[in-house]
Amino acid sequence: MTLTQEAPARLERQVLPAEERHADELAFLAAYDAGPRPPGWKLTPRAAVTFICGSGGEALKTAAPAKSGKGKAAGALPDKLVIAPKFVGERALVERCVVTLAGERGLLLVGEPGTAKSMLSELLAAAVCGTSALTVQGTAGTTEDAFRYGWNYALLLAQGPTTAALVDSPVLTAMRTGRVARVEEVTRCLPEVQDALVSILSDRRVSIPELAGGGAADGAGESEGSVPAVAGFTVIATANLRDRGVSEMSAALKRRFNFETVHPIADAEAEAALVRRQATAAVERAGAEFAVDDAVLEALVTVFRDLREGRSAEGWDVERPGTVMSTAEAVQVTASLGVAAAYLSGGDVLDLVPGHLLGVVRKDDPADHGRLLGYWDGPVRRRAEDGSALWRRLWDLRETLR
Amino acid sequence: MSASATATATATAAELDDPRSAVTELAAGTRPFLLGVRHHSPALAAMVPALLDAAGIDVLCIELPADFQPWLAHLAHPGTVAPVALAGTREDGGLGFYPFADFSPELAAVRWARERGVEVLCCDLPLSDPGWSADEEAAARPDPVSDSEAGAGGAEGSVGGPTDPHAGQRFAAALAEAGTGREGDDLWDRAVEVLAPGCPPEAVRRAALGVGWALRQDAQNGDGVRPTDLAREAHMRHVIATASADGTRRVGAIIGSFHASALVEAGTQAPKVEEAASPPAAAPSAQSDHVTSLVPYAFDLLDSRSGYPAGIRDPQWQQAVFTAGGDPERLRDAAARTVTALCRELRAAGHPAGTGEAAETVRMAGDLARLRALPAPGRGELLEAVTTVLGQGEPLGRGRALARALETVMVGAGRGRTAPGTPRSGLGPAVEAELAELRLPRPEEPEPREVRLDPLRSDLDRRREILLQRMAVCGAGYGEQVEVSGTGDGAALSTRWRLAWTPAVPARLDLASARGVTPAQAAAGRLREDYRRASAQDGPTCALVLDGLRAAASCDLPDLVADRLDEAAAILPASATLPELLAALDLMEALCRQHLPGTTEQGREQAAALIETLLDAAVRALPGLAGSEEPNDAAALVALADRAGQRRLGMRLDDALDALARTGSPLIQGTALAVRVLLELDEPEALGGRAAGWVDAATAADSRRRLSKLLSGVLIAAAPLLQSAPAVLDPLMDRIDALTDQGFLDRLPALRGGFDSLSPAARDRLLRTVTERIGDRLDLTLNAPPALLAAWTAADAAGLAALRSLRIPLPDSLTASNPAPAAEPAETAEAEQTPAPHDAGDASQSAVESRNSKDRLSPADRWRLLLGRQASNLPSGARRYAHALDELYGAGRGEGASGVGGGPNSAGGGGQEGSFATAREWAEELDALFGADVREEVLGRAADAGRTDVLGELDPASVRPSVELLTSVLSLAGGMPEHQLARLRPLVRRLIDELAKELASQLRPALAGLTTPRPTRRPGGRLDLARTLRANLAHTRRYEDGRTVVVPERPIFNTRAHRAADWRLILVVDVSGSMEASVIWSALTAAILGGVPTLSTHFLAFSTEVADLTDQVADPLSLLLEVRVGGGTHIAAGLAHARTLVTVPARTLVVVVSDFEEGYPLGGLLGEVRALASSGVHLLGCAALDDAGAPRYSVSITQQLVAAGMPVAALSPLALARWVGDRLRGDRS
Repeated sequence: MTLTQEAPARLERQVLPAEERHADELAFLAAYDAGPRPPGWKLTPRAAVTFICGSGGEALKTAAPAKSGKGKAAGALPDKLVIAPKFVGERALVERCVVTLAGERGLLLVGEPGTAKSMLSELLAAAVCGTSALTVQGTAGTTEDAFRYGWNYALLLAQGPTTAALVDSPVLTAMRTGRVARVEEVTRCLPEVQDALVSILSDRRVSIPELAGGGAADGAGESEGSVPAVAGFTVIATANLRDRGVSEMSAALKRRFNFETVHPIADAEAEAALVRRQATAAVERAGAEFAVDDAVLEALVTVFRDLREGRSAEGWDVERPGTVMSTAEAVQVTASLGVAAAYLSGGDVLDLVPGHLLGVVRKDDPADHGRLLGYWDGPVRRRAEDGSALWRRLWDLRETLR
Repeated sequence: MSASATATATATAAELDDPRSAVTELAAGTRPFLLGVRHHSPALAAMVPALLDAAGIDVLCIELPADFQPWLAHLAHPGTVAPVALAGTREDGGLGFYPFADFSPELAAVRWARERGVEVLCCDLPLSDPGWSADEEAAARPDPVSDSEAGAGGAEGSVGGPTDPHAGQRFAAALAEAGTGREGDDLWDRAVEVLAPGCPPEAVRRAALGVGWALRQDAQNGDGVRPTDLAREAHMRHVIATASADGTRRVGAIIGSFHASALVEAGTQAPKVEEAASPPAAAPSAQSDHVTSLVPYAFDLLDSRSGYPAGIRDPQWQQAVFTAGGDPERLRDAAARTVTALCRELRAAGHPAGTGEAAETVRMAGDLARLRALPAPGRGELLEAVTTVLGQGEPLGRGRALARALETVMVGAGRGRTAPGTPRSGLGPAVEAELAELRLPRPEEPEPREVRLDPLRSDLDRRREILLQRMAVCGAGYGEQVEVSGTGDGAALSTRWRLAWTPAVPARLDLASARGVTPAQAAAGRLREDYRRASAQDGPTCALVLDGLRAAASCDLPDLVADRLDEAAAILPASATLPELLAALDLMEALCRQHLPGTTEQGREQAAALIETLLDAAVRALPGLAGSEEPNDAAALVALADRAGQRRLGMRLDDALDALARTGSPLIQGTALAVRVLLELDEPEALGGRAAGWVDAATAADSRRRLSKLLSGVLIAAAPLLQSAPAVLDPLMDRIDALTDQGFLDRLPALRGGFDSLSPAARDRLLRTVTERIGDRLDLTLNAPPALLAAWTAADAAGLAALRSLRIPLPDSLTASNPAPAAEPAETAEAEQTPAPHDAGDASQSAVESRNSKDRLSPADRWRLLLGRQASNLPSGARRYAHALDELYGAGRGEGASGVGGGPNSAGGGGQEGSFATAREWAEELDALFGADVREEVLGRAADAGRTDVLGELDPASVRPSVELLTSVLSLAGGMPEHQLARLRPLVRRLIDELAKELASQLRPALAGLTTPRPTRRPGGRLDLARTLRANLAHTRRYEDGRTVVVPERPIFNTRAHRAADWRLILVVDVSGSMEASVIWSALTAAILGGVPTLSTHFLAFSTEVADLTDQVADPLSLLLEVRVGGGTHIAAGLAHARTLVTVPARTLVVVVSDFEEGYPLGGLLGEVRALASSGVHLLGCAALDDAGAPRYSVSITQQLVAAGMPVAALSPLALARWVGDRLRGDRS
């Protein structure tokens, strides 16, 4: 999921990488702020922050008129551009991330699932080095090859260990070119695989013992047996805190990262707007019109926020279910409601809400069902008693939760 | 002010006054020369001397109430070491409190004035002025912001600054916009402090005035300036005007920057006549009877988080900024020093934090400052960098250690002192004055006295009580509370104190005076500090919060009560155990009913709301009772359900009760079922039907035990129901009626055990109900002396003879129902003649005969037997059963148990039969009456009840091994001398051997089998060259030069294999009293797992202390005899010890067996769990380790443990062995 305002898709691909989606803004910002930048960086740190947090609605003007010497790409740059905000959250957080990367230190984004960590890492990578493609997806099956190197086994057997038979991992590529490597869900990798990152982040080189013999024999100085990291190389990793099946990171690895905790969207209205926007897009992709009432949507977002935070908007205590109640899930539920309203019409959309909520909450822990009931007994009932018609309807629908 | 900040402010507010020119005007004024400050501001304080020198000031006005004028000399004295505080009581009871540190501009100014010999005037309203309470008068309407500490946005700690910038904050918002956009950013900090380094003093002054101007504009455009502020400003204008009246002296005014624009050119106005009439600052202290004081202060109190007014965050850091004196280079040095000190603290706490991290933190702080165009990192940048680099995203464990280190390094522990020769002031005089007013022993009349106070009736007593409580909290050693016993169940509402003014009291008061100048402030300070200290390590416990709340309430400190209520609302629902919740509910009700002072209307509402929340939390905790065997828990369940049901019947409660009724332990099942009937969720008839079913099913020892527990559960909840809604009783009565004598007698001990949960009186009432319904014959037994009885009988006989002689027809009943009583003497005699020891066979035969005899037990007798009442009404044969069982159950508990003449028959069979002389005699009687099977049950139960002598009667060879029996034997063994224990060993040995054998045959298969690397096509491990070649021989190619090349189209790899070598299993077992069965299963499991070759098993038993019993794992007998059950629960300590045993985390399993009712701060437990989990140890929590799998545990705490990385489940030993086997084989999930 992405928490951005989606630009209309220009190609038929489902999702565009950040550097393509925002190519205009990146090029503009590169020209706009021509100040000194850390080695390997496409933008100055300040421009990188602006790229992610937006220019606050102001149109930025390039200081010097863009030279039209470099062909049409430079010529197409506008003089003024409003940079759209792409990440809903604290500016200080983004500043810290950028400063961390400027120091070539590893950055670890942690937080609950669905808080746009991956999107933030993608944007940061695109802003810093112009590509977010050097990515390793962490899974329980990820092997050390993904962080170091693999072999083209056919070539390896046929020719022995040669540079040609070597298959670079995304991380190794990033080291060779001085760019940012992204590691998604690093805690899903097995600990011994994670630890491959420790030596990379501390030594800033990967040794390839298989090639070392030949290189040393040739006496060719910087032997092929080791690949040093070019200035500018660094790693952005993301990790979930609440998912099941995560492997803890070792203390050694932790010490090589700066940690940034990404929190769920703090502002209820911003979240509702985001959910509406993304759900609308999803429903429209399904070929229907989005027809979920604003009030219903607001109620749904409220329920999600209450259950996520363990405290209702009014300050009442709520028991948090074990399930993740992220914005992404809220979008999915809203989208299903929208599709149901469009294709399976009949009755009020509101009537479907408890059922869908039950589906979200009751995933693996049966006790979560009790927690949802408790939520209905508490905040929903109180709001109904306070006289809200919508919540009274939801309270009346409680039997569907049993 | 930086160009960018001003520019943004300008851009947003262009249509209003131009801020730039307004600020210029403010700054340019010389009559007076305005210096707008915040009360703590290192940047300004460093520059004050330079600014004042430049302005050439002759008279200095300073924003302090005029009452403090006499203290100024002492304040400025070179011997006075900051921090110190000025304090004075206001007319309205409020406290004027002005702490000063080196970085307070006012202190810097006063010191400057002393050096230069410049006159200083206090220009704020005198404390006696009604203007101070102008707000309350003006705001009879509810004022949303009256708390002077609410100034989150920039008035933090400012003297008289606007208290709330939320309304109409256009300018402030514009200024804040220029900051970081971070949550909780301090406006003043961003706009003045961080920009100041390297700027000329005049620029800093302008920035400060600008912030004040912006806030004032916002206030004027919003809610308007508060009346108090207006009154104060009027007075300030007056003083300034008076000071500059002669027109020659240049006046400087150091005031809160908020007030600056109100004082522009104040010196040019002539002092108004009416104002001049009330002579202001001339000699205020002379007439003022307001107690003012100058007391030493401390950095930790100065920190705004300490709860004291007018503080600032991180004073030690502010001091460093002040010392740096606005030089960016020195500031960066200070940051580096601070970070280094932090890392040292962290390392000392056992967390890795090396020079590399320190360097990175400093780098990050510096770069953040550069990115934000600041000359040097400010407090915000420093904290951000520290959190990012050193915090590692962990709120627990490392996060807490970091918070502690921050407190040490940034807050500091510096203490001030007053200069020698400063008059005594502060707490001591205040207390003495109050004592005199309340007519209590004091220096003038120090005689000890004992007083009895009735705070709820008399106002004087109330005030006395509060003062005494406060002094007790301060540790004054003045009064000693004497226990007062309440009447009946009610708590005592009056108190007794023994009071004496001893020479130690003033000394102790002086010690306490750093925390405050009035008893209230000092008590609040003491309570806050104690609380902070207790919760510093790992956060507050529920008990701590509740104690704090109670103490705050009895000291009448509404602010503190509100704080603690907030804490309670945050902490209790998430981590309180059920008993704690019940205690909390009681306390909240006491608050709501005003049994304790210290509540405001708001506080009571808060408490009432909390009651609801706590009830919700309690309903949530219900599933944790599922496995309980404690009648107390069942009673708690009833109490809670009743309380919650009175308010409303939630679906959650319904659901939880339903689950308990299905899956709980028998006792809880019974209770839950009965509660459901009480709450009208189920029909009473259904319950009766079920109860009858239990009776039917009770054919074996296990099901009889179950029956007993189920009945207990039902009766704990629903005893009155049985009398009022007999529908419940009907099926049960039918069933008991329908049983054969043999069947009934088999079940009798179980039934009697079940009904034993009722008090004797309740059983009497129940018996009456039952006999009424059965339509029993009249009660013919009379409690009269035998001689009288004989006379009556003779009369009866004569009457009968007379009737007969008259040939009147007699009713059948008179003749038919008589045999039993008639036969009684003979039978009793026979039973007593039966010699017990040597021919038991005879006895049992006669018993069998009596059971088979045709006069079966009547329904009423059956009920007498199973209720254990009216034994003397029983037929003599049945009376022996009653007697044998009475030996076990005695008189029962509760109402009627100790009644002297409570009924015709107290325990012991109406005095006709004494209790059994020896356990052996009793055991044989039981054997004769019920048979061996039931005898064992009853004896086991007796052992449970604490009768050690019956253990000798259990035959090791024939006893049926059960965990229950083992539990009771072991719990008794704990208190036995060795020679008795020796006799028991065979029994325990056999029980353990049998159980272990049974368990081992289940567990072994789960542990068998280890994996080796397997070939796979998935690339991952090493290439299996041999297999690859073999598999690809088909794809061989021959080069032209004759070489052959194998083209490996299908490479084959080896899977990664975990060698199951040297695994370590650490069982951490809770022996805190409620875990006996689990302890036994753990020991047995440990013994079996200890036999697995690749596994080394450790056994840690913990309550509040940890015992490492690893060397006894091989022998569960000695292990179990070693364990001493009882005490509190400190899981964190157990885990901490386990952590010392970890050598290779990835090959270590830590299994915690506990009910997770941690009695220590939860933070520590969660921290330990996180530490273990993050080191890679395999963690598992067992809420119960037994065959039933119904756990009794704290739901809220386990939830947090799961979140911290320790999965919690109720497991059977088999499931545990499977889990261990899975880990050993390397399966994850």
